[in-house]
Amino acid sequence: MPDNVPILSFIVLIPLAGALMLLLLPKDRGRLARISAIVFTGLSLLFAVWLYADYQPAFGGAKYEERAAWLSIPLNLEAGLRDQGVVSYRLAFDYHLGVDGISLPLVLLTGAVSLMAALGSVHIRKRRKAYYALLLLLQTGMYGVFLARDAGLFFIFFELTLIPMFFLIGIWGDYGREKAANRFLVYNGLGSAVMLLAFLLLVATLGFRADETADGTILTYSGNYDVMLANLSDPNAAANAGGALSFTGGLKWSVFVLLLVAFGIKVPIFPLHAWMLRVHAEAPPPVVMIHAGVLLKMGVYGLIRFAGFLLPAQLEAAAPAIAALGVINVLYGAILACVQKEFKLVLAYSSISHMGIVLLGLASLSEIGFAGALFQSVSHGLISALLFLVVGSLQERTGTTRLTELGGLARSLPFTSGILLTAGLAALGLPGLSGFVGELLAFLGLFATMRWPTVLGVLGVLLAAVYVLRSVLAIAYGPLPARFAGLKEARFTEALPMVALTGLIVLLGVYPSLLTDLMEHGFAGLLRELQTRAGG
Amino acid sequence: MRTVFSQYAWLAPLFPLAAFVVLTELNRSLKRTGAFIAIVASLASLALSLLIAFERIGTGAEDYSGGFAWLTIGSVTLSAGFEVTNLTALMLVIVSLVAFLVNLYSLGYMRDDERKSVFYAYLSLFACSMLGLVLADNLLLLYIGWELVGVCSFLLIGFWFHKPEARAAAKKAFIVTRVGDLGLLIAILLLFRYMPGHALDFVSLHNVFDSQAGVISTSITTAIALLLFLGAVGKSGQFPLHVWLPDAMEGPTPVSALIHAATMVAAGVFLVARTYDIFEASAVALDTVAYIGAFTALLAATAALKQNDIKRVLAYSTVSQLGYMMLALGSGSWTAAVFHLFTHAFFKALLFLGAGNVIHALHTQDLRQMGGLGRRMKTTAWTFGAGVLALSGVPPLAGFWSKDAVLAAAFERHPLLFAAGIVTACFTALYMARLFILAFWGRPRGDAALAARAKEAPAVMTAPLLVLAALSVAAGFVQTPFGSWLGAWLSGEAIPEQAESVPVMAASAAAGLLGLYLGWLLYGKGAPKGGGAGQTRPWPWLVRLIEREYYLNEAYGYLFVKPLQGLGRALRLFDGAVVGGAGRLAAGAVQALGRLNSRLLSGQLQTYGLAAVIAAVVLMLAIAGRRF
Repeated sequence: MPDNVPILSFIVLIPLAGALMLLLLPKDRGRLARISAIVFTGLSLLFAVWLYADYQPAFGGAKYEERAAWLSIPLNLEAGLRDQGVVSYRLAFDYHLGVDGISLPLVLLTGAVSLMAALGSVHIRKRRKAYYALLLLLQTGMYGVFLARDAGLFFIFFELTLIPMFFLIGIWGDYGREKAANRFLVYNGLGSAVMLLAFLLLVATLGFRADETADGTILTYSGNYDVMLANLSDPNAAANAGGALSFTGGLKWSVFVLLLVAFGIKVPIFPLHAWMLRVHAEAPPPVVMIHAGVLLKMGVYGLIRFAGFLLPAQLEAAAPAIAALGVINVLYGAILACVQKEFKLVLAYSSISHMGIVLLGLASLSEIGFAGALFQSVSHGLISALLFLVVGSLQERTGTTRLTELGGLARSLPFTSGILLTAGLAALGLPGLSGFVGELLAFLGLFATMRWPTVLGVLGVLLAAVYVLRSVLAIAYGPLPARFAGLKEARFTEALPMVALTGLIVLLGVYPSLLTDLMEHGFAGLLRELQTRAGG
Repeated sequence: MRTVFSQYAWLAPLFPLAAFVVLTELNRSLKRTGAFIAIVASLASLALSLLIAFERIGTGAEDYSGGFAWLTIGSVTLSAGFEVTNLTALMLVIVSLVAFLVNLYSLGYMRDDERKSVFYAYLSLFACSMLGLVLADNLLLLYIGWELVGVCSFLLIGFWFHKPEARAAAKKAFIVTRVGDLGLLIAILLLFRYMPGHALDFVSLHNVFDSQAGVISTSITTAIALLLFLGAVGKSGQFPLHVWLPDAMEGPTPVSALIHAATMVAAGVFLVARTYDIFEASAVALDTVAYIGAFTALLAATAALKQNDIKRVLAYSTVSQLGYMMLALGSGSWTAAVFHLFTHAFFKALLFLGAGNVIHALHTQDLRQMGGLGRRMKTTAWTFGAGVLALSGVPPLAGFWSKDAVLAAAFERHPLLFAAGIVTACFTALYMARLFILAFWGRPRGDAALAARAKEAPAVMTAPLLVLAALSVAAGFVQTPFGSWLGAWLSGEAIPEQAESVPVMAASAAAGLLGLYLGWLLYGKGAPKGGGAGQTRPWPWLVRLIEREYYLNEAYGYLFVKPLQGLGRALRLFDGAVVGGAGRLAAGAVQALGRLNSRLLSGQLQTYGLAAVIAAVVLMLAIAGRRF
């Protein structure tokens, strides 16, 4: 393929095009809507895979930069400025996409989970056209978040995921769907407000740039990520910024804390998790696949991209606190997962526990720990997607996911139960499956600097065995209640994504280099910053 | 000496892996032929293992290793590779031989099970993981194999998943052994942290701990050794983590023979032997291993005295014998431990498979329902008898020589350890005599109709017994105090003749014979009809203590399970009231604000995204325009 294909834009915009096309379909063509949604989702994934095949870690993503001036708002050019030779003073929004070793794994995850969720939506019967259109719109938002290289664009895509999620929960969810959707929006809306504040502070400080041209100086405020990075590493940036806000200690800490809260809601970090329990329990299972599989990772990605790369000193200083939050997440989630009676809530608390390991990896401040955090994010995405795929199948057949009402399903549903067991083993960190690699790397990274938090994190792995086996065996093992004797095994359309996700989980568990090689230079900038700090 | 077959050792785990993959993928269409695929694969592993072992016989064969980088992150490389030493070659033979025999035996035992191909798939995955564990050239890969054998054990214990007891036992086995696994994992983290160049391979471990004393401080060394041992305690059923192993008998009997007697439970012993340099560098660690081993041996031997389930007796016996191996390791003789591992694998597998024949014939595991089977099941009875004598340490059977090697090592270490070993030897013979007499002598006590129909198992189930019986009789001659061939081969050092250990030998033989005689007195000659129901109980509290297995399960319930549940419930209240309450509060506040807003903007939540964008622009303007 030629080099000038705007591959990133294709990835982001194909689902949007698909959503628009679906709107043109007549209302009663549900099946056609489903098929087209799967095709568009698959097409996007295809481009993501092409990107993966073409991507060379050593060169980073420079080859794929795609940008266009989008919006430029002139600011009040005072006489004083004009006297200094400034010809233009503006606030710029750019359409700017880029990819690197951190975003590419998450882009691939998005593609894989989205396709499996679309395939797994076979049980959705209500208003299919609208459902699949929203599912496609959600994808554009997720891809955009991971590919945006501009804080403003990132924010817009981030918001773009909220709207379809709100409707997907509110319309297609369980009995408590409206409350869940409401709670989802409240928490994430607050998170967005906080993020917006942080971003504004970043734009007003790091986002300032003065360009000397033949006609004179052009002063620009923008959310351009590259400009921010460049300003950060340029010691004269503050002087160049003229009268703009200078990015000093107190302000840096404010931004760091705001980002931690904003993305912490998404991750979620204890005690900001209440909303995601409801989403896990009430949203339709394919939507939870995307929610637990990808949306939570937007929080991780935001933390790395903005709190990490832009504020390395703060990240370093806050590492013990992040490790403590990680330990709390791991243990709090695990202990609560051990006492839940509803399988979906077991999985919700399990997600909290697993995201704690991501925090532990981040707190390690080492390359191996960062790689572990990212690997764990991808792995947890695949595993939770698989688990909720199975939940969808079970719920459709048994009408319940309460542990006390289920049992013995390995007899009537041997295939589905086998997949459930495999997914459970992956969740409890069995070697040979992807969950183990992420945990191992995070622990190896953190242990060098913080011994006891690591040991406490390892304890979470033991508890994972307790809650996974307790719930999975309650569903699959034991005597089979008579009313479940005649259940029909998964159909081909259900089995296909199950097998595909299981295959990915095994593949990454056996051959993790597929993913870790991609990350090779992804964290280089951050590590360099951390090292110069340690050296100086 | 150069070796030819060793470089292909990595194929040994791949044969069963291929069988596992084929069996899992083609599950439904392979109802009949599935078993044969697994058997052929295990035969291939066995053949390769034998070739590797035979070419290494004689001293001086070079160790062979090979591998590749599994994962590279920055400057850190985690590698995966295999290493063939004489120890791994011996383990390869033990594992693949018992695995093959059990595969063969299961053809009969599992013949009518509708999920036979699943069973063979699990067995194959187990063989693959166990052979991988044995061949691993570094601790991380060993850990991977270690976890995988654990999960196979779990799957096979819970194979009859519809039984609630099987479900509970499988869960318990996995979780209790995982406590130990965490020790191993933390030991790996410590080694990764402190080893030069993050090396985790056994060659580097040997170099650092054997000859470069001081690279790693003594306290860290002790911590590493104890944590490694914690892993071994979990896997090898040592006190206080042995509670899962008796319950694991819920699995099909061939599984008990392969996994819970001969191979997987010995992995802990193998681990300590493989990392022995670390233990030798820490006296505290060695003492811990020795005393835990001795205590476990004694405790489990007493518990075995009062079990009524034939498999539970054997399970406690396994725990006890593994305790012997740990005792040898802690006493400074890892070759004695491996020797006992070697002989124990044969006679314990034999005993389990023999018990399997009995269970197959009578459909009960309760010793009180058995009796008089000797006449109806001659091959089983004779081979089982050979196993009983071997385990009881009757000369010159295999168990005698290996147990003697263990006791000789203990004798040199500390009299207390030796005393525990001798008493255990006596109890061992006693409970085996009881088991054999209750099962095979006297008259049938259970269902008369069933007992009358009881007949010898088919050839496919007795042939493995004959092979194992032959090995149980003869395998001990590879190492005697008069010629220590195995020890020399394993350690690569000539071992002098140990004629001074003749008193130890005499004591060990006497203890075994005394135990057998006591058993005959109590259960054979003088036993009242009805299986001892009318016996007087000299110390009722002690008997009850033993019968209830020292109330350890109850103790764990109160110490760990209940507190965890309590904590969970307390946190659930907290999560609902405090965390959820804060959320409700925030939601309420936002809704109140929203109502206010809607009056101002008549906006709805749906326009939220647009509003946010507009707000963004406004705020940016406000901040950027701060200058004027």
